[in-house]
Amino acid sequence: MADSSIKDKIKYALLKGIDVSGFKVLDPPVRLAFGEEPQKQVRDIAKYMVLPILFVLACLGIWTVMGPNHKTKSGEVPTPAKILTAYEDNKRFDERQEEKASDFIVEGAEREATLAEAEAELARLEAEAARLGELSDEIAAAAKEQMDARIAPLRSELESLKAKHGELEDQREAEMTALAGKVAEKQAEPAELVAMVREHEKIEDAEGATEDVIESRIDEILANPPEEVKEAQMAANRVADEVQHYKKRIAILTNENRNVKEAEYLEKIAKDEAELAAATEPKKVIREAKSIARNAERAESATTQTYPRTATIFWQTKRSLATVFVGFLIAAALAIPIGIMCGLNRIVMACLTPIISIFRPVSPVVWLLIFQIIIGAFFPDPEKHPLFVSLNQDKWFGWLPNPVAFLQTNPAMIFSACTVAMCALWPALVNTALGVSSIDKDHMNVAKVLRLGFWSRLFKIVIPSSLPLVFAGLRISLGVGWMVLIAAEALSSSDGLGKFVWDEYQNGSSQSFANIILACFVVGIIGFFLDRIMIFLQRLVSFDDGSATA
Amino acid sequence: MSFLELDQVSVAFGPAGNRTEVLSDLNLKVAENEFVAVIGFSGSGKSTLINTLSGLEPPSTGEVRMAGRRVTGPGPDRGLMFQNYSLLPWLSVNENVALAVRTAFPRLSKAEVADKVAHYVRMVKLDHAGDKKPHELSGGMRQRASLARTLSLDPQVLLLDEPLSALDALTRSELQDQILNIWETDRRTVVMITNDVDEAVLMADRIIPLTMGPGATLAEEFAVNMARPRDRHTLNDHPEYMRLKSEITSFMMHLNKESKELTAGKVVPMPDIRPRDFSLPSATPRLKPRAQHPTSAA
Amino acid sequence: MQFRNTILLAAIGIGSLHAEQLDVEKDELKFGFIKLTDCAPIVIAKEKGFFEEEGLQVEVIAQPNWKQLLDNVITGELDGAHMLSGQPIAATIGFGTKAHIVTPYTLDLNGNGITVSNAIWEQMQENDESLDTPTPEHPISADSLKPIVEEAKEDGKKLPMGMVFPVSTHNYEIRYWLAASDIHPGMYTSTDLKGFTDGDIELSTTPPPQMPATLESGKNVAYCVGEPWNQQAVAKGIGVPVTTNYDIWKNNPEKVFGVTRDWADENPNTLIAVTKALIKAGKWLDAEEDGKLVNREEACRILSQPNYVGADFDVIKNSMTGYFYFQKTDKRAMPDFNVFFKYQSSYPYYSDGVWFLTQMRRWGQITEPKPASWYHEVAKEVYLPEVYMAAAEHLIEEGFLEEDEVPAADFDGYKPATDEFIDGISYDGRKPIDYLNSHKIGNKDDASLASK
Repeated sequence: MADSSIKDKIKYALLKGIDVSGFKVLDPPVRLAFGEEPQKQVRDIAKYMVLPILFVLACLGIWTVMGPNHKTKSGEVPTPAKILTAYEDNKRFDERQEEKASDFIVEGAEREATLAEAEAELARLEAEAARLGELSDEIAAAAKEQMDARIAPLRSELESLKAKHGELEDQREAEMTALAGKVAEKQAEPAELVAMVREHEKIEDAEGATEDVIESRIDEILANPPEEVKEAQMAANRVADEVQHYKKRIAILTNENRNVKEAEYLEKIAKDEAELAAATEPKKVIREAKSIARNAERAESATTQTYPRTATIFWQTKRSLATVFVGFLIAAALAIPIGIMCGLNRIVMACLTPIISIFRPVSPVVWLLIFQIIIGAFFPDPEKHPLFVSLNQDKWFGWLPNPVAFLQTNPAMIFSACTVAMCALWPALVNTALGVSSIDKDHMNVAKVLRLGFWSRLFKIVIPSSLPLVFAGLRISLGVGWMVLIAAEALSSSDGLGKFVWDEYQNGSSQSFANIILACFVVGIIGFFLDRIMIFLQRLVSFDDGSATA
Repeated sequence: MSFLELDQVSVAFGPAGNRTEVLSDLNLKVAENEFVAVIGFSGSGKSTLINTLSGLEPPSTGEVRMAGRRVTGPGPDRGLMFQNYSLLPWLSVNENVALAVRTAFPRLSKAEVADKVAHYVRMVKLDHAGDKKPHELSGGMRQRASLARTLSLDPQVLLLDEPLSALDALTRSELQDQILNIWETDRRTVVMITNDVDEAVLMADRIIPLTMGPGATLAEEFAVNMARPRDRHTLNDHPEYMRLKSEITSFMMHLNKESKELTAGKVVPMPDIRPRDFSLPSATPRLKPRAQHPTSAA
Repeated sequence: MQFRNTILLAAIGIGSLHAEQLDVEKDELKFGFIKLTDCAPIVIAKEKGFFEEEGLQVEVIAQPNWKQLLDNVITGELDGAHMLSGQPIAATIGFGTKAHIVTPYTLDLNGNGITVSNAIWEQMQENDESLDTPTPEHPISADSLKPIVEEAKEDGKKLPMGMVFPVSTHNYEIRYWLAASDIHPGMYTSTDLKGFTDGDIELSTTPPPQMPATLESGKNVAYCVGEPWNQQAVAKGIGVPVTTNYDIWKNNPEKVFGVTRDWADENPNTLIAVTKALIKAGKWLDAEEDGKLVNREEACRILSQPNYVGADFDVIKNSMTGYFYFQKTDKRAMPDFNVFFKYQSSYPYYSDGVWFLTQMRRWGQITEPKPASWYHEVAKEVYLPEVYMAAAEHLIEEGFLEEDEVPAADFDGYKPATDEFIDGISYDGRKPIDYLNSHKIGNKDDASLASK
């Protein structure tokens, strides 16, 4: 019996967790696992899990089929498979940064081993790249031949058509000259000639149109080389990229590695020291001493250097999250007190209403541009500004590792965060004001009967009672902020997903669309989780039966 | 000597020029430790009356006095028990009571507050549910919690605003017994608003009908001269009980009829006599619809 | 001229140390660039370790547009950047954002093209039969475009065209090309900062990546832009490049490396070190063997990385390896389409600065007539050949450069007069007013200013 009660406890704990977190869909499988009404659960799973999954799969299927056929000249819609590839490529890109960063700091025998490894890999990759390059050339040549074969008849058709049209035109020209002669001799009406000119123009247009049809067919063939050519080319490019990467790794391992550099400086110091010892002229002694001092300084600074990594989608995501979090905190810190004041006092509300009404609809883009001036004025020299110095130094107080150093905070990030805050402010503010002003009169009566003072009324009655609405507002705010952030980042070149999207757009490569759609999913999924977190918090502060709509 | 007194009290709402008098010329004297029931139809201004007594609603004219002193506002000496419980939904039963205890007795230590809370919660037989939130309780339990909170203020006057009207008959009688029990053991002045004649006769020393609004006033009182404790099981056979019940009922029916005739003749549109500030929400849990507000605020 | 002295001192002080890193004031730098292939020297200097060799740790960061790039340099967010040649000059004289920007290094020559939409190309072919072949003869002037422009004007329309930035080479080049065929591209005035006044066409700013899309949607019928956006139009079959800026002005300066004057004052040695690395990168990019550019393919490979230019390798390769596709079937050798180093091209010539100033005056961006001496003064405020020469001297000492790869030490910074323009008008940087007055369309100034 004890056994089953523990089981029940686990079950209810799980169900409660599912309920609070809002993943209602997981409810039937858990109940099924504990053997509760299996038939009903299976039915529910079929209805609420299997069917949605099938629906999503069907959408993916439609996408896969429709994508390649849906295109503009700027590109075609990438299939889900291509997006997965884009993800893989991005991951590889990220790994490369890792590898380079570790190559930069690795030392001693390990460095040599890594170098040997990298060299062996490079040799292998070069051979592979050569093979794939040749293969790709072959395929391209074959495809070209094939295309040429398809084009050749069209070309000759076009040529003969043009020749024929040329002859016809000559004929018409002759006719026209003849008629013109007659007109000149007043044997024919000028109107007749005009009619002929018109007629001929029409014929010429028609002839041109038939030529165009063939030309566009040729263009069509040229514009769409067989898929395998592109694939072979991409495969070759991928390996060639890898070759490039390994070349860079070897360069880092042999020259740029910070320990190698340090050793070089130390060697120079040793040499200078020897020369210093041998020197007799005071000038030379000074020069050597200066050189030693300089090299010692360099050797020391070399030991703490890190490889300047390139932004990858993963890092951009982290930075976006940090930015939205900062912006959201600013928004909450402003919206809640102001909202409470508005809700409590009609005069404050009346004073703020025009401001709220006017600024609420303003686009984030406008805010960003304005903040670049307003906030930018606070940071005339960002690199030396204490805020950024403290946020970006490796260690606080010389020993505490700085957890936010990796974010590389800069003014652009602050602008984006403020833009987020400005746009996320309103829902939280309005909802807070609403929550406070719509407090149940009975609760206020309770406060009156108990003769609560202003502060205990505020903290015991007003705030708790408006919390569900406040959190509902915050949830909307976070959603708005996350949406706004992407636009702000794209515009302000603040690192983050928005910049990733904008950069990809600017790249205009064959992978760009896939990467943009990948970013779209990343944004969407993160947005979903942020919303879930807010729902969870909202439920924690809700004092009703927890049936707040998800 | 009257302990709680209404002296020529009128209460009116609305802007000058279009004022609707809800209560007019009320005179009431309640002696110390007396249990008075005010009976009236819904919409007659019963809640306004109790709000006036509690000080939540200042009278337009006239005066409310308690122990000879004029009442100017609400206070813990007049414990008001609301019709719809008015428990703070984000606090548990214990916390709701504790909030009242702490404000009524600000000098108590933590342990003393806890003792007092436990005492009152036990008094209303809710000790098993002290940690529950109001939404987890039944209507009767909520009303008991509300009672505990009101009692914990240790008020000199208990003002009960239709405390049992939202409950089912069984719970209702159980609570009637409980309130009576508590009152018997720890007597104090009680003014109870009700719309139930049985309840009034069972519990009160005096029953005062409130005439139909607008301009409602107190009609002639009925004294209940029955020994206490009254036993509800044998009460039905009690001749005094039978007499009072039928007299009051017929009086009330007559009032109702009269009022209908009056309004039929006058063609005055029935004003919304419930003041906005005190509109009583329906008995259904009121937070559910609120959860949907946010979307409209987006 | 405190700055010049510092540079001189630095040059002398270090001159005696053979093959030694300069004593840089700042060793962690951030440089901005726009995703165009002509940022190559900066990217290559980083990826091939030339910055490292000078003891510099450099981050290279893509910027969303030219305005933001300039702002980021001015605010100090960036230490330096890939800039349009006109940007340092315009910023220094206060057209647009005002800030004193200087440049010690010319990143490249040529590299732009003018692309017209397929429809316009067909009409041009109709107007000029000689164009109606798969391989028409170059240079193609705008003569055959003129009737189209006039026809549109008769219909009350001005053909919309795109360029990259008001002070970009692209703007001056497409204006030059149009004006050479008697099409008025429009004037800037003190109230018309868009440059539409009196124009036969409407030339407006469009960000480079959007160029092909605007051509496809008909928002522009022609544009002037750098690579890879002309080759993209060919690859996607939405337009035909009709000319490159090589044909408009042979070996014209294109992009420069710019820093603020304050930054240059504070970091004189760093600036020389950066210039050294850029010279090395330029030389690497232009390295030839048997007439073949041997490093370009690797450069394209590097540039095609998503954090740099990011376009497809093949598209970048099309223009950077010495070829240019005018149509899918018309691939021509253009060995000088991108020049990064040869012809002593990376030296910051005063005469280049003067040319941009004359164009700004010609099209009304400079609203007041200015004396000739003003042109020379501004050029000398912006271009820093002394920094370039200090860097070059180090490199010569280190055996990295031959003396004839850079101008002689006593060179005065003015290129000899040239008439290698599409309209054959001669340009002598020493005589800006005469040059200004030799054009048919555009502002002309009083000849007496020439001697002032």
